[in-house]
Amino acid sequence: MAHSHEHDHGNVIKEYMKVFWTLCGLTVLTVVAAKVHFPLTWGTPGDILHVTIGIIIAVIKVIAVMYVFMHLKFDNPLIRAFVYVPTFLFLVLTFALNFLETWHYTYPTLP
Amino acid sequence: MSAGLSLAHEPVSKIPNGKLAMWGFLGSELMFFTGFFGAFIVLRNANYDVFGEGSSHLNVWLALVNTFFLIGSSLTMALCIHNAEHGNRGKQQLFLGLTLLGALGFLVIKSIEYSDKWGHGYFPTQPHHTLFYSFYFIMTGFHALHVIAGMIPMVFMWLRGFSKEGYPHPLKLEVLGLYWHFVDLMWIFIFPALYLMIPYHGAAAAH
Repeated sequence: MAHSHEHDHGNVIKEYMKVFWTLCGLTVLTVVAAKVHFPLTWGTPGDILHVTIGIIIAVIKVIAVMYVFMHLKFDNPLIRAFVYVPTFLFLVLTFALNFLETWHYTYPTLP
Repeated sequence: MSAGLSLAHEPVSKIPNGKLAMWGFLGSELMFFTGFFGAFIVLRNANYDVFGEGSSHLNVWLALVNTFFLIGSSLTMALCIHNAEHGNRGKQQLFLGLTLLGALGFLVIKSIEYSDKWGHGYFPTQPHHTLFYSFYFIMTGFHALHVIAGMIPMVFMWLRGFSKEGYPHPLKLEVLGLYWHFVDLMWIFIFPALYLMIPYHGAAAAH
């Protein structure tokens, strides 16, 4: 909090607006990407692409919200370490491990 | 000597205690939602047809409007905190009011969606809809509960802001803001997971 005072009044608001429009744009992009029916790509069903694109966009949105709205950008570096490590573990454990596990029996032909 | 000692900041980390506590609480909240997401991913990928059929009945457009309500209220919350820290009471009250309005809009649309699902018999007690709609109602229901839980202190802070001395604790507003942005973050994952990533039959056919 103390650090945010050092920032110029208008600049912070500009940054908030930038994040807001980014979030709006990415939300629309998620919906559009979900409505597109990808052909069978690289011998795998299009659903993998859908999910991958959806997760990548969601992660970008989450980073934008945490970095600017939740003040990590202006905050004590200790909080950043305190937040980044569990968040990284959350993303890896939830998405990567679960998907690796289930895709293996959903698509047995994939490596 | 001790008269000047302030414990508002933890002496070593220089992080306000309330803020640190909120981040810790959000960590536990993350674990709470991770359980749902983990179960959702595993069961979704094992039951493509059921989840594809279930999520095809959801109204993407209502959820999209709701997403904009939440993103908008996240922005107004950030602007409210910014103005509170700079002592602009009028704008602080305006943006906190707008945040409340966004939250209210979210809940109104959510209730329209719920009553529509109930009306059409899309409910976990229906034999064909048990699996998907259990996830739908539990995940969005707990999320909506979080929205309501955030609105309760927000109403108090807003009403107190109209008193003579205004709402005097910008740090508490910031801590509430952290929670509010977290509610937004969870929706960022719930929205595509339930409404958009519809497993379609191309995948089932290739199986």
